[in-house]
Amino acid sequence: MRPLARIVEERHGEIAVAAIEGEIDASNADELGARLRSQLTNRSETLVVDLVATTYVDSAGINLLFALAAELHQRQQRLHLVVAESSPIARVIDITGLASAVPSHPTRDGALVAASAPAP
Amino acid sequence: MIGAVPDRRVLESLQRVTDAALAHLSRQDLLAELLSRITEILEADTAAILLLEPDGATLRPRAAKGIEEAVRQGVRIPVGRGFAGRIAAERRPITIDDVDHADILNPILRETGIRSLLGVPLLVEGRVLGVLHVGTLTPRTFTTDDRDLLQLAADRAALAIEHARLYEQERVARQTAERASQRLESLQSVTDATLAYLSQDGLLAELLSRITEALGVDTAAILLLEPDGVTLRARAAKGIEEEVEQGVRIPVGRGFAGRIAAERRPVTIDDVDHADILNPILRETGIRSLLGVPLLVEGRVLGVLHVGTLTPRTFTTDDRDLLQLAADRAAVAIEHARLYEQRRLAEAVQRRLLPEDLPSIPGLELASAYLPASGESLGGDWYDAFELSGGRIALAVGDVVGHGLAAAAVMAQLRAALRAYAVEEHPAADVVERVNALMWQLGPTAMTTLAYLVVDPVEESLELVNAGHPPPLVVAGGGEVSYLPLQGGMALGASPLATYHSETIPFPPRSTVVLYTDGLVERRGTSIDDGLERLRLCAADAGDVGALVAAIIEHMVPDERADDIAVIAACLPLLPDELVSRWPAEKETLVSVRRLLRRWLHNRGAGEEEIYAITVACQEACANAVEHAYGPGRRWFDVEASHRDGHVRLTVRDGGRWREPRGTHRGRGLPLMRALMELVDVQHTADGTVVVLERTLEHATS
Repeated sequence: MRPLARIVEERHGEIAVAAIEGEIDASNADELGARLRSQLTNRSETLVVDLVATTYVDSAGINLLFALAAELHQRQQRLHLVVAESSPIARVIDITGLASAVPSHPTRDGALVAASAPAP
Repeated sequence: MIGAVPDRRVLESLQRVTDAALAHLSRQDLLAELLSRITEILEADTAAILLLEPDGATLRPRAAKGIEEAVRQGVRIPVGRGFAGRIAAERRPITIDDVDHADILNPILRETGIRSLLGVPLLVEGRVLGVLHVGTLTPRTFTTDDRDLLQLAADRAALAIEHARLYEQERVARQTAERASQRLESLQSVTDATLAYLSQDGLLAELLSRITEALGVDTAAILLLEPDGVTLRARAAKGIEEEVEQGVRIPVGRGFAGRIAAERRPVTIDDVDHADILNPILRETGIRSLLGVPLLVEGRVLGVLHVGTLTPRTFTTDDRDLLQLAADRAAVAIEHARLYEQRRLAEAVQRRLLPEDLPSIPGLELASAYLPASGESLGGDWYDAFELSGGRIALAVGDVVGHGLAAAAVMAQLRAALRAYAVEEHPAADVVERVNALMWQLGPTAMTTLAYLVVDPVEESLELVNAGHPPPLVVAGGGEVSYLPLQGGMALGASPLATYHSETIPFPPRSTVVLYTDGLVERRGTSIDDGLERLRLCAADAGDVGALVAAIIEHMVPDERADDIAVIAACLPLLPDELVSRWPAEKETLVSVRRLLRRWLHNRGAGEEEIYAITVACQEACANAVEHAYGPGRRWFDVEASHRDGHVRLTVRDGGRWREPRGTHRGRGLPLMRALMELVDVQHTADGTVVVLERTLEHATS
């Protein structure tokens, strides 16, 4: 069987973009986390995780994103999310408070623009 | 003295003897009786019959009266010399009035005191059989009448002797033939009886054992042509077992066996020392004479069968014919055994290729059947079922052109290729196009028809790609039966340029799709349309998917099948209001629970957003059950879903204890469940944890 999710990576200067296509649950969250972390170099200042093509997220995925945000924060790096408005997963991100802890954008372009801006 | 004209009664008496003798007497009795009558009629004291030996140059006394010692002593007279020898050589009567002044070779005649002799040749159709002569112990001048009378008796005797000889020859020939036919029967019984039961090696050993017995030879060996077509290899031997043990190989065209195979005819070697023998084992074994014949089936050389003797022997044409007959039967038996072996192997390969167990997918019912052809060779029918992502199921049925091992090999490649391309998530038509390209590369033997189908239980749809295969059958929930469109796709491997299209049709709950191979609907003497119509009628009122396949097999499959038959059916049941399912406590099953729950909620009329919310809540409970399933007996969890009047209630039970996960970034499950559901109840019991989740669907509240 095909993996539940795959990561499509892009790099825009010092911004690393990772689009998660598919589903995130307890069975693949650890593996996805390892892949996302491996994408970060000391040079990258920002990681954009694009969840537009993500069709399922539950607490396993939310926990992963919270953990990732904290790690980046410690390294003076930043995490941005791309979440389609009024998508089923937007609700979960809202409920869990992730949306208020991590900057979230409805489009990737928006996220890239925000990530390029100097840190507040 | 007798008169000038022989007494009529005398002649008649002579005639009676010879006529009667023909039918009843052995030759020896016949000759004695003849001599007795002749001495009586001619008033002679002695009489003797000498017959020509097979060498044609010697006369040997075979019966005598008055001079019996001549027979006992086995006197031999050269043709042309002495009294009898001259008669045979000159083919005319000879009279000797006074033995003392004549050229008599046989001393017994003198010793017996014979004074006068009269002898005539025994002639049949101008051929000399021997000599008949009479003698007197007193001097006598034999008259022309005496001479004519003796010649008359001799002519009749010659005829009688010739008849007796022919009769004896025929009797011997008949006995030989009977013996030969008995030998043949023993060979025949071996080959027939063993066809079905013996492996090729067992068969060959048994054949050789019978052949050495039937021909009275010391050694026998069977060499079969190798797949390269230019080498013979010893495969079975009796008396010269080393030949097999050492794996002797003989090039076709060279040496004894090689010549037989090349020239496709028997070869006899009377003296091994003076022959072109390639195989040293034949000499080392001390074989003196050899006879070998080709093993032929329908003009094809399969190999060589040869026999040998440790003492010099001149093999006769009879021996050669018998061995060739044995070889002909053996060749057929070997060919049968080879085909049987091939079929057995192909069956083993095919068994490995068909899925041992259909995948077990909650919410999808699968059933299948495979029936091999009745005949010798196995067809190339094949089916497969496997999971794709998103809870989708791929079903495939194919029919490889050709039979036996070759077809099974193509089948193996087809199966691997289809699975490989399918799990890469290419669209169904692309999957089939890629498989086609691969089949084309494998060459012209890799032609196959294929029906490839993807069932999406969540979308309740069916995607079909057909490559020259009979149309799949769909039985709707209401019992209406229809065939899916043919699409006109070419068989795989026919053209590298072939394109394939997929067709997606709705597949509502309670529908069943049936894939099958042409053996099910094709029968000699009826059109395929008749077969399709019979299948349609038979599928109309079957029960669940297992009963449907059973009914199809029962009504559509004849006892004697010319072709194999494969059937696989999938049914998407309408999930009931009350759904109970049990799952292994593994993270990998979470996705399957999600799929089933989505479909169940969809069947209940839930909207997309609430389906997502309820699914996430349920997954939190399931994930916890998986995470805390410790120890034996706790390797599973149950999910129960119930629906009444728009109100959904989910219960997740496990055998472990609920623990709020520890760590900074854990523990979001319970709040999430509470946010998404109207009611969340977590109860810990001695047996485990029970989580109950409830929510009212939007369509019930509006």
